[in-house]
Amino acid sequence: MNIYKYWNYILPTLKGGLGWVFLFLLCSCGHKTYTVPSQFTEADSVASLYPDYTDITIPANIAPLNFALLESEPTAVVAEFTGKRSGHLVTGGGKDLKVDIDSVAWRQLLQENRGADIQVNVYAQFPRGWVKFKSHTLTVAEEDIDPYLSYRLIEPGYELYRQLGLYQRNLTNFDERPIYENNRVYEEENNHCVNCHNYQNYSTRHMLFHVRAQHGGTIIVRDGKAQKVQIKGDSILTAGVYPSWHPTLPLVAFSTNKTGQAFHMMHDEKIEVQDQASDLLLYDAEKNEVCMVLNDTTQFETFPCWSPDGKWLYYCTSLEPFDPTETPDSMRQIRQVTLYDHFFYDIRRMAFDPSTRHFGPTEMVVDCASRQRSASFPRVSPDGRYLLYAEGDYGQFHIWHHSSDLFVKDLQRDSTYALTEANSPQAADSYHTWSSNGRWIVFATRRMDGNYSRAFITYFDRKGHAHKAFCMPQRDPEHNILLLKSYNVPELTRDAVRISPRDLRQCIYETEGQPATFRPRK
Amino acid sequence: MAKHNKVHKPARPLPSARKEPKQQKERKPLLLPVAVVFFVLVWLWAWLWYGDVFRIARESSFWSLDETLMQYMDGRPWAALWWAGLALLQFYRWPVVGALITAFLVSGSTWLLGYCLRLRGWWRLIQYLPAMLYLGATAYLGFDIYFEAQTGMIMGIPLLCFLVLLILALIIRSFAHGHRFPPIVSPPKDETPRQNRAQLAMIVLCIAVAMAITQWMRPYVRVVTTMQRQMLEEDWRGMAETARARADLSYRQIAAYYAIALVQTGEQASRLFDIRMDYDDPYIHGFNRDNPYIANYYLMDCDLHAGLVQTATRHAMEHLTMNGPSLRSLKMLAKCSLLRGEWAVASKYLRILEKVPFEGDFIRRYKPMLHNMDLVNADPEFKMVRLTEPSRDSFENLFAQPAFLGYNAALTEGRSINALWNSLLVHVYTKTMPEFIYRCQPMRGTLPPQTFAEALLMMSAKNPDVLQLYPGLEYNRTRLLNFMQDVKAYIGDYDTRKEHARELFPKYKGYYPYYYFFGNLKATRGHTKENEGSSNQGVN
Repeated sequence: MNIYKYWNYILPTLKGGLGWVFLFLLCSCGHKTYTVPSQFTEADSVASLYPDYTDITIPANIAPLNFALLESEPTAVVAEFTGKRSGHLVTGGGKDLKVDIDSVAWRQLLQENRGADIQVNVYAQFPRGWVKFKSHTLTVAEEDIDPYLSYRLIEPGYELYRQLGLYQRNLTNFDERPIYENNRVYEEENNHCVNCHNYQNYSTRHMLFHVRAQHGGTIIVRDGKAQKVQIKGDSILTAGVYPSWHPTLPLVAFSTNKTGQAFHMMHDEKIEVQDQASDLLLYDAEKNEVCMVLNDTTQFETFPCWSPDGKWLYYCTSLEPFDPTETPDSMRQIRQVTLYDHFFYDIRRMAFDPSTRHFGPTEMVVDCASRQRSASFPRVSPDGRYLLYAEGDYGQFHIWHHSSDLFVKDLQRDSTYALTEANSPQAADSYHTWSSNGRWIVFATRRMDGNYSRAFITYFDRKGHAHKAFCMPQRDPEHNILLLKSYNVPELTRDAVRISPRDLRQCIYETEGQPATFRPRK
Repeated sequence: MAKHNKVHKPARPLPSARKEPKQQKERKPLLLPVAVVFFVLVWLWAWLWYGDVFRIARESSFWSLDETLMQYMDGRPWAALWWAGLALLQFYRWPVVGALITAFLVSGSTWLLGYCLRLRGWWRLIQYLPAMLYLGATAYLGFDIYFEAQTGMIMGIPLLCFLVLLILALIIRSFAHGHRFPPIVSPPKDETPRQNRAQLAMIVLCIAVAMAITQWMRPYVRVVTTMQRQMLEEDWRGMAETARARADLSYRQIAAYYAIALVQTGEQASRLFDIRMDYDDPYIHGFNRDNPYIANYYLMDCDLHAGLVQTATRHAMEHLTMNGPSLRSLKMLAKCSLLRGEWAVASKYLRILEKVPFEGDFIRRYKPMLHNMDLVNADPEFKMVRLTEPSRDSFENLFAQPAFLGYNAALTEGRSINALWNSLLVHVYTKTMPEFIYRCQPMRGTLPPQTFAEALLMMSAKNPDVLQLYPGLEYNRTRLLNFMQDVKAYIGDYDTRKEHARELFPKYKGYYPYYYFFGNLKATRGHTKENEGSSNQGVN
């Protein structure tokens, strides 16, 4: 029983009887009608909103951008949306200054103004009277965003985890459903973590994620059927870690990483996660076979990513910042930790022949190391033209690196630049995903408070420029303040996950992982 | 009229008439309202005796009307009941108020049980058994009622009992004609004086059992929670006094909070060893029930007061991750964020705490500090934390665990003399004396604080140069000689020392050589036999 959802009904009952409940139900039916104040004074600044939804470009199918006015004095707020083409919407909020937009009217307004601007006027009722803030604009893009966003919700902790899950949010409304949640109550024998969910070509038809600790394995879902496999072996460092589905074939490229973490005592970045070793694998989901792609002991290869045509495999790689042959094994890990800011990852790629499944030689795509910078999470745009990645001062765990920003490389023009309009100057902007039409990027960023990552959306226009990013809307604008979990690994898909959490639970709990057969690379 | 005159009432009652009320009194001796007495005694128990425990249980819990904040309870069995229990537990912000609710639920359930079971005469005694079980179990479980536990049970169980019995009683009252509720304030008419007295005895026994369990089976629980409450009130001297008043008790929790108090009062270098440090095992179980890491109880508090703000953040976050939100972890995260100048996230935590009832004082104190580092640094508690913060970044993993004991010992630079004292205390505590002597050098030419002076003098037998470097050590030589003479017979093997450690403690309480030879023996043994040559691994 979820009592919290009903406390609004329970509390009045406790206080005084059913009359209060009925009164509340009556009051809560439908939206209150707001009117634009007839008399007001004009402020010379734009309203300070939480989240900041001023002057942004939004998809026409996005959920209402509910916001709160960040002012302490006002007792009421009114927001007026006027479409350049047509449509007029007035809404508002009471003492809490939260503006709750009617979703039907909102959807209509956005559809009517697809490809045009919506002017927003915000009025606040101060003790001295109504004040109108400077107008701001919402630009409605022509292109929609994929309606579903998957992510993991987990505390921004360090080594430990407890209750967590993979969830899918419908971006066109506020509906969030669990794809899979681990055990709500701690049970030693069932405690496990889930991570690295990944989909084939923006479709949930084929997907995967990992289960760690108890009931561990990789869950591969193909055509609605889940199977647990163990991608392990004597030649494999740990297990499959960062995945990338081939866009058309039943193949998944994995990195396999031996990872360590260290905790800063004073640094602004609280944690440093490092690979002590890493390689690349290729897994055949049809045959349950795995083979090694790259395992150069002098290189740390990670974050594989297929190009949309499936003919290139991009990945990141770094050299060890010291000569491992001159360092005793017992000292190697300590040296790696102390030289954490000397690891610089480049982006390289290998040609792949889908018919023979052979890889060609590696070639440099983004040379970061020579600039003493470091790249992670390469993602190629659906049209194959842009390579999106995160770039920071060092290392590969950019989700905790304040210096990390989103960059793109125009593969046609061979130019690289930062997505300055979307980036935050001080907070980590890291894990990112393209929409299937290539016009939207959703990424995880800690810009709201420096600690909890949130999903932000930015428009990527045809000229290759990003626009000001905005936070994924929530029904309660305060949600991102009150939520004590981070949005991790956002992934867009065109459709909803079809397999039920129950079926996934059954697969995880009741099946033994089938070991993948290791095949030496030809 | 004449007739009236004949029967007039005498001015003074006749002897026979005076006797009558006395006989009446003998027939109907005073019957105490046991329900009221029980209510009062449970209230006093929950307020004065166990109030601090419940207060700290509240600090280890979290409750809000906000749906997002309470998501951590979703899907748990009995979530609605524990939600209600957590709501009631919030009243222990003031134990006198929380105790009233506990007393109402416990005594009310007892009274209702008697009604529902239609208990008469001597049978009324059994209505107290569930209450006795609840109070006894609460005392027996000690830390386990709140440490990594479902704190909603503390009030949720009596609430459930009360509600079930209330509904049952109302049904009985509605359908069983003539079965009226017994009186609350006055005793039932059919109760004899002996039965009344027996019930009183039962009530007293009920409370006495709960108190006895605490006193003899879990004596450390009240001490620790009182110290924690005093820490919340920043009564540092009170904390130290509480620990010293029960210096015979030796538990890590007491030692940890005692050390925090001394750091705040600046007495760490003179009074650390005033309490026993042999560390008996308390009755405590973590969320996984069989493998508790009891340092989780105090880690974040120790980290903060050792100046390790980032480590405190990490431990608070881990606490939050593993156990769900609690006032304790959220307050720690808010404080650490303020100390680190992370205003946005500090504001987040304060906003969350604003949604918890009765946290106005905390908000009023810390909210003005947002975006005002001067105000943060002027805070008396934070001022002391600042003194011992590391002066440069490093990785926690490179030092012995827990970090608050391992970190400073490896450093050669600090922000203040307090930082030096803390790092030297790590050495004297872990008995790593060569490092201690080496790192004492900044105090050369002066008489070090008492504990260090005693340690240096003791070590001068092997390092005579020490006496020249620190003038004034010699004044304590007589005491050292007397001590060595006194304990000569006992400084044999581990078992002999362990055997006599307790009896020598009252005489040498606070004296470092005593600690060196007789204190923390488990750690000493672990250090000497298992970790010889390593720094201070395992000595914590």
